[in-house]
Amino acid sequence: MATRTVEVANGVPALAPEREVTWPKRTKTRLANGLEVILAESHTIPKFHGELFFRSGNAAVADRSPGLAEMTATVVRTGTSKRASRQIEEDLRRIGADLSTNAGSDTSAISFGGLSEFVEPLLGLVNELAREASFPESEFERERRQKLEEVKLERTQPGFLAGERLRKVLFGAHPYAYVSPSEAQVAAYKREDLRFVYHEFYTPENALLILVGDFEPQEMLKTVEKVFGHWNGKKPETKTYAAPANPRGRRIYLVHVPGAVQTQILAGCQAITRKHPDWVKVGLANSLYGGAFNSRLVMNIREDKGYTYSPRSSVHALRQHGYFSASAAVRNDVVAASLTEIFYEIDKLRSVPVPEAELADARNYLSGVFSMGLATQDGLLTQFSTVALNELPDDYLETYRAKLRAITPDDLLSTARKYLDSANMQIVVVGDRAQIESQAVLFGDLEIYDAQGNRL
Amino acid sequence: MNRLHIAIERTKLANGLHVVVAPDSTAPVVTVGVYYKIGFRLEPQGRSGFAHLFEHMMFQGSANAPKMQHIKLINSSGGVLNGSTSYDVTNYYQAVPSNALERVLWLEADRMRALKVDGENLKNQRDIVKEEVRVNVMNQPYGGFPWLDMPPVAFRNWANAHNFYGDFADLDAAELRDVQAFFKTYYVPNNTVLLILGDVKAEEGIALARKYFGDIPAGPLPTFADPSEPEQMEERRGYVEEKFGTLPAMAIGYVMPKRRTADWCGMAVLDQALHGGRAGRIYRELVLEKQIAVEAGGGIDDLFGYNGPTQMTTRILHKPEYSSEATLAAFDAVIREVQENGISADELEQLKVKWRSDYYATLEGGRGGYMPKYGLMHLLACFTLFDNEPQLVNTILDGFLAVTREEIHDVAKKYLRKEKRAIVFRTPAKAGAKEVA
Repeated sequence: MATRTVEVANGVPALAPEREVTWPKRTKTRLANGLEVILAESHTIPKFHGELFFRSGNAAVADRSPGLAEMTATVVRTGTSKRASRQIEEDLRRIGADLSTNAGSDTSAISFGGLSEFVEPLLGLVNELAREASFPESEFERERRQKLEEVKLERTQPGFLAGERLRKVLFGAHPYAYVSPSEAQVAAYKREDLRFVYHEFYTPENALLILVGDFEPQEMLKTVEKVFGHWNGKKPETKTYAAPANPRGRRIYLVHVPGAVQTQILAGCQAITRKHPDWVKVGLANSLYGGAFNSRLVMNIREDKGYTYSPRSSVHALRQHGYFSASAAVRNDVVAASLTEIFYEIDKLRSVPVPEAELADARNYLSGVFSMGLATQDGLLTQFSTVALNELPDDYLETYRAKLRAITPDDLLSTARKYLDSANMQIVVVGDRAQIESQAVLFGDLEIYDAQGNRL
Repeated sequence: MNRLHIAIERTKLANGLHVVVAPDSTAPVVTVGVYYKIGFRLEPQGRSGFAHLFEHMMFQGSANAPKMQHIKLINSSGGVLNGSTSYDVTNYYQAVPSNALERVLWLEADRMRALKVDGENLKNQRDIVKEEVRVNVMNQPYGGFPWLDMPPVAFRNWANAHNFYGDFADLDAAELRDVQAFFKTYYVPNNTVLLILGDVKAEEGIALARKYFGDIPAGPLPTFADPSEPEQMEERRGYVEEKFGTLPAMAIGYVMPKRRTADWCGMAVLDQALHGGRAGRIYRELVLEKQIAVEAGGGIDDLFGYNGPTQMTTRILHKPEYSSEATLAAFDAVIREVQENGISADELEQLKVKWRSDYYATLEGGRGGYMPKYGLMHLLACFTLFDNEPQLVNTILDGFLAVTREEIHDVAKKYLRKEKRAIVFRTPAKAGAKEVA
């Protein structure tokens, strides 16, 4: 199973001394109405980027219906007490702005970007959407019918089907088990449900505004006070859900797609959130395993064996729980062979200490990629929001690289043993049953589903 | 109005290699790109998909950096890398902490000087490319629609009309000697531009380019087949079965004027009027107002980066209860409206502000959330290889901001004609599929 001998390069220039990585200063404040604000300068282009987050998403209203926060966000942009849908879209274009509204499991958000010369009109529109969305009946009805077609369509995508099944298997009765509503659930959405979600979630006490770009922070702060200062509203009550049971023993789930010419593999296990002290270590283990081009999984099943174009592994941090996963879209006749290698590489990381040189390479990789966020306004915004939304320490960005450098081969071995839980991985394969069932059954008790989620 | 100015230094080495440096010390990161002026449009006949397969081979080893060493050295320096093949160029790029700049230049120079691959590498990459085609095209709903479906319907010259990802039989037929011949013909320094962007001083960048690339011998300038098309005189239609998707789809493509003409600027602004998101006329009419379509978007693919026949393309997924002809009639009504009435002064003003804002975003933007300055790199490369004028990046905006209402009206009438378009219908094979007239 060993890959062929890797030759080394001759005459590679050494690295020059590293330039210091300095994150821009953040101006952090909280307005009297509870709105948390983070501002940072970045003068790469005469524009700015922003995001108004609400710390509640689909999970917080899962008891009503899956996907309800997302549907609410979709309809928020279609009308306010002052502007109709068409007016909103043309006003955005008039100031050269982009805007989108969305919601995930844990947050809802209005994301936007535009020219620095039009800060106030853009923030004014964001404020209007956050406070005065009117949910016009006809707009709601159109978006609901639109969503119905989308949920039908996503069931034809192998990647979606794999992700959906894995989340169900890993999170059971917890709201994180749902990545998308069913057709029947969308059909049952009511305008009143959306208005309820809007009034509960879209409040200043529940909100975080981050702005990054070509502006002067003190001046921007005045504008923010002026625009958002008169908004009021309480934080919604937080719902707690029982922790999901952690599935024991390997099981394999086949989603049958007749005529599929390739098989999507996705295997995963529960892991940790970003707040967990082991997060940086798990990130490094993931990077070594399958998180980088130069990782063991990619070298093995892509560059050595040619089974797949796109193997990768990831650590997913949801707010309450996290999970680890490995994925690859492979030739139908090498499903078993690919799974064997996927587990071989996990087990190796759990059994044999990583050579110091390989570990140093992986540390350098994560450390370098981390700094790329400095180069763009959007990159900065992403880093700042990760820190704030996950309630990480203020110096997280400044201390991350030092934490990474301190990780030893022994740390990595124990991290892999703890979180890359080979024996309890849940395996999903999406493909044509006739071609892959006999391979799938080799890896554990098999359950078979159709694309609609019915057990076959 | 704030105008963005990009500082640029450029030179040409004795071997013909163009070098462009755009210094910016905002972040301790440098992006290095190498663009070769060869894409899938002009790959050899009988070898469809070869330009892309060859791009994969460029990661398989060079004289002093054997297989995997390029990738390993970039990743372990803290950097990311990739390559991509398009119609008229193939690029290789990496973003690294700026202390790794020399290493990156050494690696790029090594593979420009001497590719060193074997039959085993070729077989391995051929297998990977087939899985790439399966994951992006054959096993996906609407895979390759319309970028692979449109060319054989729209064009008559093989250069523009063939399967760019490659027929599997052609991929299988590719041999190691094809790889070496392609390398020798097109991958010469005098057919290439090197770009260094970010945390580097201009004179340092140019000196390093000289140090690492200066001794690579020039080759004969490649000759290129003529990609021009016979003038299109009739509407063209094609039909493709959709294996997985639930909605009927269609794509409508109109032939574009030549790059960098006044009409080209007019079409680019008209494109914003038609395809500019939710405010664009096509989305507004088909999705928001008439509610026939679920998705309606598109536009001019790679406005600055094409160097041969291309189209402005609209992609529509519509509700099954509307026939293809009813959907097309609704689309035609949008086109007719702009041909009859043009656009208002107010709309033109909005379009220009948005155009400027989007242009800045392109210059700053990365690719898929990483690779800082990808957009600036791409524009500088195309302006150098096609126009020999990288400074265009600072002036090209003027042409778009000067477009008049009359020009928009004129290009709408001149280019959005039925006899200048091609339509591909992609219809679900499963129940619920309607007639396609």
